[in-house]
Amino acid sequence: MNTIKHLQLPLSEAEARSLKMGEMVTVSGKVFTGRSRFHIRAIEDDILPPIDFSKINTFFHVGPVMRKVDDGWELVSIEPTSSIRFERYGADVVRKLKLRVLIGKTTMGPATTEALREVGGVYLTKIGICGNQLGEQVKNIETVYFLDELGKTEATWVFEVEKLGPFFVGIDSHGNNYFEGLSQDVEGNMPKINAELGVPEDYDYTDVNSSVGK
Amino acid sequence: MIELNTVRRAMFEAMKKAATILPPDIEKRLHEAYEEETNPLAKQHLHISFENARLAGEGKGLVCGDTGFPLFFIKAGRHSEVQGGYSQLWKAAEDATAQCTEEAFLRPTMVNPLTRANPGDNVGQGMPKVELSFDDSIEGLEIIAAPKGGGSEIFGTFYRMLFPSDGQAGIKKFVIECIKDACYAGKICPPAIVGIGIGGTADLCMKLAKEAALLRKVGEPSPDPEIAKLEQELLAASRELGIGPMGSQGINCVMGLHIETALTHTAALPVAVNAQCLVGRRWKASIDENNNYELSGEI
Repeated sequence: MNTIKHLQLPLSEAEARSLKMGEMVTVSGKVFTGRSRFHIRAIEDDILPPIDFSKINTFFHVGPVMRKVDDGWELVSIEPTSSIRFERYGADVVRKLKLRVLIGKTTMGPATTEALREVGGVYLTKIGICGNQLGEQVKNIETVYFLDELGKTEATWVFEVEKLGPFFVGIDSHGNNYFEGLSQDVEGNMPKINAELGVPEDYDYTDVNSSVGK
Repeated sequence: MIELNTVRRAMFEAMKKAATILPPDIEKRLHEAYEEETNPLAKQHLHISFENARLAGEGKGLVCGDTGFPLFFIKAGRHSEVQGGYSQLWKAAEDATAQCTEEAFLRPTMVNPLTRANPGDNVGQGMPKVELSFDDSIEGLEIIAAPKGGGSEIFGTFYRMLFPSDGQAGIKKFVIECIKDACYAGKICPPAIVGIGIGGTADLCMKLAKEAALLRKVGEPSPDPEIAKLEQELLAASRELGIGPMGSQGINCVMGLHIETALTHTAALPVAVNAQCLVGRRWKASIDENNNYELSGEI
């Protein structure tokens, strides 16, 4: 396996720009969490937690599993969630908060890739199902915002993490996306697969003049 | 008579096991996939997942942090009379789900679809989902608890009304394109179990797909040889896509492909796809009329 780069947060623009697609990394420092509600509210309603995003500029796409204990909270597991579904707001959030690092599952689309290129940021993709290991790498639960309004899953938590990862650089700050390249390879395999399945090259489903979903 | 307390306790324990232990058939199949993959990233996706599951089994977390939709599939056999009647099964499922959420074996993930309000305990209209059927070939109650992850349900659900003139080519094209789409960037957390329903009404078709994905031992072929052949053919095709674990470059984007069928309208050829993610969470509780119950990861 590739060697792992251990990154200290907050990441500088130069450090972010030096990362290449496919590199394995961990991050240490402070991260904040959010999901759909964070994205929608940040852009549509200008509702943001009182975080200094110049100091905490790593956005972890996740809804942690938290257990209430006597003196606060205990983290049970923290599995990164599918970032691709935030694509409608991803680019705006990256630009607005000048985010240097996104962490999540899957990837982001072309608009967010472009925003990361502009701002000088990277997208880190999780490896495997890893929420318990990542949970052990969360060293401190610093604070939580919007807990009453959004509940434990969609709230914004701020965590101090140590060597959180490993992740791989799914999108670098030069516009490269691991999965886009792979997708082209997959498309290249389709003609042979269709031929083996007996699906003609010019196959079309029966057209019943439906306009839904087109 | 099966007491409500027994049902409640069995449901809680089955859901807790499902959330914390990888089913044995899934684990075995994932290890086979690990041996077969050669791309280091594909292998590492599985290696880390094994480690995650090991920690969960030791009480240090969950099989996956997205505990998803709380589902209960219940078969009522002979001598399965439930205290207060079968409608009490829904109440027991609610109590078990709320308790699992309270104790953080389930994440509070279920929300109102429009207001997005979160009740905090995964209980409300339609959830937990209880699917009750009757089966005279078994004794007592058989309950399968399945916390179904968002990734596989959200990105791995497809339905299309094909027509008789679309033929088998239409079915195959639809299924392979669904798999390609769903596995992109690891959306459904491959290696996935792909359940396929063919026939029935739209709702029956999707139910068949879901049950094919969740309730069959992974990789077990259909008893119908023609269907088994189609399963084999589509599984083989998925392996040529070039997609492996978590959408990386590899072979095993699908670890099992199961088809279920039902009669349908002579004018119709409905096809549904529903995927289950690599952790394939489900655990079974079998309750007898004397209120003894057993838990099992075997299905």
